[in-house]
Amino acid sequence: MKVRRFLLRRLIFIVPLLIGIVFFTFMLVRIGGQDPVEMLAGPTATQAHIDLIERELGLDQPLLSQFLIYIGNVFTGNLGDSWISSQPVLDDILRRAPITLELLFWGVGLGALIGIPVGLRVAGRPDSWFDQCARVVSLFGFSIPTYWLGLVMLFVFFYLLGWAPPGIGRIGLVVIPPETITGSYLIDSLLTGDWEAAHSAFSHLVLPVMCIAIISAAPIIKHTRAIALEVYRGDAVRFARASGLPRWVVRRIVMRNSTVPVMTFVGTEITGLVGTTSLIEFVFAWGGLGQYGLNAIISGDFAAVQGYVLFLALFSVIVFLIIDLTVVIIEPRSSEAT
Amino acid sequence: MTTIDLPAGRSERRWPTLNRLVGVGRRSPTATVGFVIVVTFALMAIFAQYITPHDPVEAYPRNILNPPDAQFWLGTDGNGMDIFSRVIYGARYAFAIAVPAVLLSIVIGVPIGLWTGYRGGLFDEGLMRFFDALRVFPSIILALAVVAAAGPSVINVVIVIGLLDSPIFVRVVRAEVLALRSSTMVEAARAAGNPTWRILLVHLLPNAIQGAMAQTAVRAAWAVRISATLAFLGVGIQVPTPEWGVMIRQGAEYMVTGQWWVAIFPGIALVVMVLGLNMLGDGLQDLLNPRRKG
Repeated sequence: MKVRRFLLRRLIFIVPLLIGIVFFTFMLVRIGGQDPVEMLAGPTATQAHIDLIERELGLDQPLLSQFLIYIGNVFTGNLGDSWISSQPVLDDILRRAPITLELLFWGVGLGALIGIPVGLRVAGRPDSWFDQCARVVSLFGFSIPTYWLGLVMLFVFFYLLGWAPPGIGRIGLVVIPPETITGSYLIDSLLTGDWEAAHSAFSHLVLPVMCIAIISAAPIIKHTRAIALEVYRGDAVRFARASGLPRWVVRRIVMRNSTVPVMTFVGTEITGLVGTTSLIEFVFAWGGLGQYGLNAIISGDFAAVQGYVLFLALFSVIVFLIIDLTVVIIEPRSSEAT
Repeated sequence: MTTIDLPAGRSERRWPTLNRLVGVGRRSPTATVGFVIVVTFALMAIFAQYITPHDPVEAYPRNILNPPDAQFWLGTDGNGMDIFSRVIYGARYAFAIAVPAVLLSIVIGVPIGLWTGYRGGLFDEGLMRFFDALRVFPSIILALAVVAAAGPSVINVVIVIGLLDSPIFVRVVRAEVLALRSSTMVEAARAAGNPTWRILLVHLLPNAIQGAMAQTAVRAAWAVRISATLAFLGVGIQVPTPEWGVMIRQGAEYMVTGQWWVAIFPGIALVVMVLGLNMLGDGLQDLLNPRRKG
């Protein structure tokens, strides 16, 4: 009951947020120096031609009615056509989204799998040598540019050692991709029992996933440590220690009490990691939504840029919502606080 | 009358700031290392033309993709330009973008934070919700999209980074002002008949500015990173400018053919610079915010 009321209240708050986001993406391509009409018409166009294109695109109308048309289109799923792929933007995005989600899922998952236990561990023994190491490693993780890390990985594991495939695409050039079920080559080929494709897809995943894991583990270590340190200083741990409970019980108390804040933190980090994933896709020619979006931005493909940014914002909103819901379910007292 | 000589206390009285800095350095080796790194890069940027053996944009057509040797210490790139000289000059671009960008976000963020924290009300509420909404966009995508839309130029890169970063300063200053707004000090100032601007500038700003200053180094690190990323993607600064992101972009294709030095060295410079700023930032936060727990 409580969960449903919470969800309802959240959903009501999301509506103005979504309208704000749509307004933002609408304004994004209208703030600056680049004129879509000029780019469409080319340098030799006559004024009459330019006027014609402007009318066709609806750019001769006042800004407000342009916005209303745009918002109507967005909510009916019409995001316009991309100039690069000359396909509807929505189709482009939906086809590429699973490709990026796969990378993001494994990368952040591995990052959390490394970061959270390390963070919990070093919080138990602050200022030990392990803590110092973790601090240095996480400082490096904060400072390494994503794309450069990807390039270094390619150099070491592809060129020098020859362990990894070249950073082009998601599967070997001579390997036939499995039929599409989920959109993830690895899962699809495992489902269809195609071991060759599965092996190829897996070996292509390793380097980009490692890069994202390294970049995402750094802030996770830092914040898990800070959160767990607070719990260690709290009453629950002091009481447990005073009662003479063994170490592993104390550790379990810390783990339980850190779950919610750590989960919330990882959830909010995912937004930024979507940007990281895009850069990794760019370096490894991954062909997912991230690469599509970056190319759209770089080449001024306005409709695709709007759709992409809108989709990213929607994704973040959904992730935040899921995190909030999970928190309410596993810790009911927090729903009263918000 | 006898004069008492106090040699031990003397330097402490004469150089209070210096002594404080030395004290911090002793307490936080991380910050010291960061400080040394940043100063080194600053010296590199200032004296670039005296320490570089070659012109950063002079191409040697006979020495294309030379591996590191005695003449070209870090090798040459695909245009035959000296990478060592280019890496040194790259420090100039890092500072030339980060410093004005951070200054801009302070100039925008601090007054807004002061005003909105002191006044509160609908504007404050709306602004905070707006900043919350901005968080649904990944910062790099947002920066990239806005720079591309506004037209890629170095000035636009600085403006966009400064704008996107100003909410951090608004938040920090606003939080301090909120805590101080109903303090006895401010109430006394108000009772004495001070106008609002005087309370803001004389009573609140000096207290709130420390929190903002503590953020500067970390924000500069972010600015250096993001501007290099934009350059790497080909938005903003263009080839053959000796900027680290551009250089990594130039070297990217050679990473899989074995000419590693083209992209590795500018990348190392970038990592060390950002690392230095982050380490310094940690120290600054300890120094300027004694309440912060380790």
